[in-house]
Amino acid sequence: MIDALLLDCEQTEGGVDILMKRPDLGSRIDVLPLYELERAELRRYRGLLLGLHVDQRYLATRRNQIDSYLAGGGTIVFCGHMATPFLPDVSTYRPIANYGVADLAVKRISAHPVWEGVDTADLTFRRGVSGFYGRGSHEPPGGAQVIHGLGADLHPVDFEHRPAGGGRLLVHAGADLWGYLDSETSAARMAPQLLDWLRVPFHGEKS
Amino acid sequence: MTVAVLDGGSYYHHDVIYGDRFRHRFDRAIYAPDLVEDDLEGVSALIVADRISPTVLRAKRRIFHRYLAGGGTLIVLGENQAQTWAPGVKWTFVPTNFWWWLDRGTDPGHRVPGLDHEIFQHVTSKDVIWHFHGLLHPPAGAIPLVTIAPEAGGGPDGSILYDHPGIASGKGRMIVTTLDPFYHTGSYFMPAAARFLNGLLDWTDATFRAR
Repeated sequence: MIDALLLDCEQTEGGVDILMKRPDLGSRIDVLPLYELERAELRRYRGLLLGLHVDQRYLATRRNQIDSYLAGGGTIVFCGHMATPFLPDVSTYRPIANYGVADLAVKRISAHPVWEGVDTADLTFRRGVSGFYGRGSHEPPGGAQVIHGLGADLHPVDFEHRPAGGGRLLVHAGADLWGYLDSETSAARMAPQLLDWLRVPFHGEKS
Repeated sequence: MTVAVLDGGSYYHHDVIYGDRFRHRFDRAIYAPDLVEDDLEGVSALIVADRISPTVLRAKRRIFHRYLAGGGTLIVLGENQAQTWAPGVKWTFVPTNFWWWLDRGTDPGHRVPGLDHEIFQHVTSKDVIWHFHGLLHPPAGAIPLVTIAPEAGGGPDGSILYDHPGIASGKGRMIVTTLDPFYHTGSYFMPAAARFLNGLLDWTDATFRAR
């Protein structure tokens, strides 16, 4: 099995370019143009990585393929704002209205292997500027593990969820987690740790 | 008079095109992969939102060219690889400096030679000053509206917004920019991008819808 398939949206200076600068990670990922998803053999991959630029209207038409991938024990990682729901149990994005800097502070709610050793200050600020990590959230489905919240209201910016039909979802309401790879802070740990996490068998996975 | 917008299906397209803030600015929204010639019947200006799949746009080349030849106005926003499908567009990559504004007093290089252009009755020159994605090189007949100074890396003709009237045998018109305001506005990040988009849509309201 290959660790992950990443669907590419042909954006310059995007997360794909950053990942592919690193053979240790690039050798673990296949990249396919987004609209070729319908021809992809998803069962060859432990994880499917969907970034912020995806055409969600297209993915909504691929719901059967997505659901059967999950039913077979696949993991989908989605970074972005859900507008046209295409994943089970994930509803539309809720922006934080009129946010201030304090509303954007990232707080850890539970530990998760993808964020091991990642300092939340490195998520809250990039070069002293806040807001890159997230400015809103998705309602966590029942039973989801919320990983980070934003501000005093702990808007759930990251969660892991096991849909009833099988598989796993990791949902981040912000820009691609693998886009932090060229950061000079602990935030750069997320991309390699994400691939490592995909490799670890989990309960409910098809062997 | 009808203003149409192309929707690339991403969340920021959805937010700007169908959300409360801007939906009244568009008479017609067309999902880019579904675009057919008839969709552009009676459309006086077509806004190609930023960051639509270039593969999809290239597949629709004939429709865009036909629209221009019929007298249409195409407003092409950034990160669409317009140089691969739109007539006359030349573009070069320069690494994006997202951080120019952290150094107070830094001149990011923007110049506005087209300040007397009709767009600037609606867009303030301040609202075009934010990071940009590469440089356009306006062809003969195009009017540079915002350029990047040579000392800031813009070279002899680096531009980030131009108006090209009289293309396609004199009938069509293209406005081209490397700015990507749908992405930033629909992401609830960067107020300058939202102000630019608002001004741009004030211009399309006044020019293509009011008559």
